[in-house]
Amino acid sequence: MGINSRSHGKGRWLVPAMALIAPFIVSSAAAASAKAEALVSAKCGTCHAASEPGKWDRISDSRRTPEGWDMTVARMTYAHGVVLSGTERRDIVKYLADEHGLAPQETASYRYILDRSPSVIEHFEDEEIGQTCARCHSYGRIAVQRRTEGEWRKLVHFHVGQYPAIEIQAGGRDRNWFEIASGDVSQRLGKVYGLQSEAWKSWKETKHASPQGKWRLVGHRPGWGGYEGTATVSPGGDDTYRVDMRIKYANGKVENAKGSSILYAGHEWRAKLRQGDKDILQVFSLKEGGRELAGRWFEEGNDAIGGDFKAVRADGGTPVILSVQPAMARAGAKETLTINGVGLKGEVSLGPDVVVSKVVSRTLEQLVVEVEVARDAETGVRTVSLDGVSSDGALKVYRSIDLVKIVPAHPMARVGDGGGKLPKVPAQLEAVAYAAGADGKPGTDDDLRLGVVDAKWGLANLNEAAEKMRDLDFAGRIEPNGLFLPNEAGPNPKRVFSANNAGELLVTAAVQDGDRTVSAQAPLIVTVQRWNDPPIR
Amino acid sequence: MSMKKSKSASALKLGAIFLALYATGAIAAKDYLVTASRPNLVFVADAKERKVIKTHTIPNTSMGNSPITLVPSRDGKVAYVIHNRWESISGIDLDSGKEVFRAELSEGDIRGKAPFAMDLSPDGKELAVFVNPTRLLPGEYQVQDPYIAVYSTTGGVNAKPVRKLPTTRRVATLAYSTKGDTLYAYGWEMLKLDPQSGEVKGMHPWRSWQRDNRGEPDTLPIWPQWEQSKVFATPFYVASTDKPAGDPASLRAGIWTLDLEKDVVNYKEFENASVVLFSSVVNPVRRNEVYTVYTQLTRTDMESGKMDRVDLDHTYYNVNVSSDGEELYIGGTQGDIAVHDSRSLKKIGNIRTPNGADQVLTSLRVFTR
Repeated sequence: MGINSRSHGKGRWLVPAMALIAPFIVSSAAAASAKAEALVSAKCGTCHAASEPGKWDRISDSRRTPEGWDMTVARMTYAHGVVLSGTERRDIVKYLADEHGLAPQETASYRYILDRSPSVIEHFEDEEIGQTCARCHSYGRIAVQRRTEGEWRKLVHFHVGQYPAIEIQAGGRDRNWFEIASGDVSQRLGKVYGLQSEAWKSWKETKHASPQGKWRLVGHRPGWGGYEGTATVSPGGDDTYRVDMRIKYANGKVENAKGSSILYAGHEWRAKLRQGDKDILQVFSLKEGGRELAGRWFEEGNDAIGGDFKAVRADGGTPVILSVQPAMARAGAKETLTINGVGLKGEVSLGPDVVVSKVVSRTLEQLVVEVEVARDAETGVRTVSLDGVSSDGALKVYRSIDLVKIVPAHPMARVGDGGGKLPKVPAQLEAVAYAAGADGKPGTDDDLRLGVVDAKWGLANLNEAAEKMRDLDFAGRIEPNGLFLPNEAGPNPKRVFSANNAGELLVTAAVQDGDRTVSAQAPLIVTVQRWNDPPIR
Repeated sequence: MSMKKSKSASALKLGAIFLALYATGAIAAKDYLVTASRPNLVFVADAKERKVIKTHTIPNTSMGNSPITLVPSRDGKVAYVIHNRWESISGIDLDSGKEVFRAELSEGDIRGKAPFAMDLSPDGKELAVFVNPTRLLPGEYQVQDPYIAVYSTTGGVNAKPVRKLPTTRRVATLAYSTKGDTLYAYGWEMLKLDPQSGEVKGMHPWRSWQRDNRGEPDTLPIWPQWEQSKVFATPFYVASTDKPAGDPASLRAGIWTLDLEKDVVNYKEFENASVVLFSSVVNPVRRNEVYTVYTQLTRTDMESGKMDRVDLDHTYYNVNVSSDGEELYIGGTQGDIAVHDSRSLKKIGNIRTPNGADQVLTSLRVFTR
C-alpha cells in the first residue's frame, strides 16, 4: 500500500520534528531546569539578550506548546545557524515548554491541531484574526500561542520579511495585509491571545501530578473500532517515563505497545511507542489532577491513521465506567455488551427495557453481559450503573437507524509516493448511525448519536468536472472498512492535461438496519501533497 | 559634381546603415525565445526551429530555488533575471553566457527581496526593480518601506542603485512606457511614476475602479510579456455583486489591458469564471486578439468579447507571441514550451527545456535579432 513508508528528505519538519518532541531516546540527562536555563542562555542569549536571569528578549514574551517551541527552535537552526545536538534541542524545548507553556484549559478547544486530527473544519474564535491569519495556515496554530501585543506585531514583521509573496498571493493581496496585520490585528491578538493569563498563572503554581502508575484505558480507532486495555507508566527520570500498554480491539486484534514519554508543562504528554508493528506517537493531556490521560495517537509518518484514547487510574480506588461496547442496542435484540472500567462491582443496571439475561464474565475492570432489549423499548439514552458508579448515556437504545453520517464530514486524502518524496495520505472514513429524537424527525438537533456502524462503501465522481476528468478512475479506491487509499503522485500521462491523480469524489456509506438501507454521502477530496508539513499546520 | 558627391555620400550612408542592420541581424530578423529553468539556467531558443541554441548558467545562486522575472534587452544581447531566493539580479550576456551585470539586494543587516516586478527602460540604460527590504536585527525582523531600485545597466557585476524611488507596497508589475517617460507601477492601482523622481504623475484605477454591480477586481500580474505588442495585458476576476453567491454569473472573468505607447486602458469581461486564467499576451498584428493560458489556451476578441478555447497538454503559466502574430509560445511551470498556431489554436510544435527542468515562475520573453 505504501502508506506507511517513511520518506526521506521531506523537508525540515515532518517526522524528525515530531519524533524529537516524543522522546524516542530517553536521555538520562533530560536536563534539570537550571542546566537547561544555562543552555538557553548559551545557545539563544547571543541574539536574545537577557534582561534578567531566565528572561530573554522575545523568548519570554510568548508562551507555546512543545510543538510550537520546537518549530521555533528548529527555525533558529536552519535559518539562523544555531547549532544544536538532538539532546540540546530537546532540552531547550522542554525548558521553554515548561516555563513558557500553556495551561490545559488554554489548549482544550484546539487539541486537534496538536494531535493532527485529520480533515478538521475549523471555526474561528475571532473572525478578524481568522481572516488575517487562517487563510494560509490553521487558526489553531494561532490559538495555541500566547504573546504580548508587541510580540504578535513582531511575528507579522517576520512573516513579510520571510515570505514576501504574502502580500501578492491569493488570500493576502485583496487587502493591505501588512498594515492590517501589524496594526489592528496585532492589537486584537494581544487581547485575545495575550501573554498573561490567570489560567497559566495558577497552573504554574499548581504542583503537577505524576503519571506514574497503572492505568485502565479505552479508545476508538477509526476503521478498526473500539478498544480497551491497560497501561503501566514508570519513571525514567526528569519528567520522562517508560510506558507499557496492552490493547485489545473489539475486532479481536491485540496490540502490545512499549516506549517512552515526556511530560511537558505538567500536562502535555508526548510519547513514542512501538505499538503492534508500527511506531506511534501519542499527543495526550494529563488531566483532572493526574487522574485522567486523554488525547489522540497516530502512526508516525502517517498521522491520518490513529485513534482517540482515554485512560483513568487503575490504582486510584474510585470506580469508573469508561465504555460500553457496543454502545448501542436495538429494541427487540439480544446483545452481548462489554462494560470497561475500574472497580466494577455489584449488580449492573442498564436502565429501562434492558434486561441482563446472563453474566458472561466479570473482573473488576470488565464485565461482559448478555442482554435482551424489550421490543417496545423507547429510543433514548440509558444510564449504566454498578456499585458506587454510574455513567449517563453510556448505552443507547434505538428502534431504528434513521440517519447515517460519514465522518469526517469533509474528508481529504493526498496523492503520494510515485517516485516523489512524500507518502500517500489516506482518509479513514466511518459511518455513524443516528436515531431520530423526540420530534421523530432525523436531521434535527435532538437526534441521538448511536455510534459507528458497518457500512458498504461506494465511490462516484462528485460533479460534472470530476465526471469529465474521470476522477473516479484515477483518484483511488476504498477498502471495506472505509479506508480510502489515494493513488500515486505526479503527472499521469493517461489523464487529460497529464493531470495528477487528484480528484473530487462522492463517497457513499450504505448501512443495513434490518431490511432497510440507510445511506449517507460526503464529498471526498483527493488533493496534492502537503510539501510543508510542520508539527503544527 | 556636387550632386554626384551627394549621391555617393547617400549611398555610403545607406551602405553603412545596411551593414549596421545586418550586423545586428535586423535584415534576416528572427524571433528568439529567452527564459529560465531550475535551478540556475537561462536559455535561448530559435523560435521557428523549435530548438534551444544557447544554455547559460546563472553563477553564485541558491540551487534550491528557481529564477523568476526575466527581462531581455531590446537588442537581445543581455537578459536580466531575478534569482538567489529573489535577492540577486544578474545580467547574462546571451552570446557568451558571461555575467555582465549583478546587483545584490541584500547588504549588511538588510535583506532585500524582489518579488517579481522588474523592467528595463526602452533605451536599455536603466533597470527598475521593486524591492521589499527587511532589517534583520539579532532578535527580530523589521519590515522596511519598499522602494524601486533603478540601476544603470553599465553598473557591472557590483551594481548599486543610481536612484531609489518611493513606492506603495504590493507592486507586482513594473513596466516602462514605450517612450520611457513613464514607469508604470501596478499594485493597488496602476500608478504612473516619473522614472527619474518617482513622483506619481497620475494613475489608472484598479482598486478604485468603480463599476455598477462589480466588486474589486483581482489579478496576479507577475508576467511581463508585452514586448511584441507594447500592450500590457492581465486576466482578472471580479465579483458580480448583483448576483447571488452560487450563481455562475456571480464571478466574471475578463482581460484588462494598458497600451504602453498610448497610455490607454481597455478591458473586456468575456465569460463567467470557469477556468483558471494565469497570464495574457496581445497579438502585435491582429491587435484585438488576446491569448490567455493556464490549462487551456483562450483567445479573446477585445472588441466583440468572442472567445475560443482549446485544452493544452498540461498546465502552463506564461504565453508569448511571434513578431508576425502567427505563433504562440506557451511555457512556465514544467519542462517544455508548446508552440500553438494563433489562428487555429492548434499545437504545432514543442521545445524541451535544456535538461527537461521546470521553468516554474520565470518569464518567457521574445526578442528579435
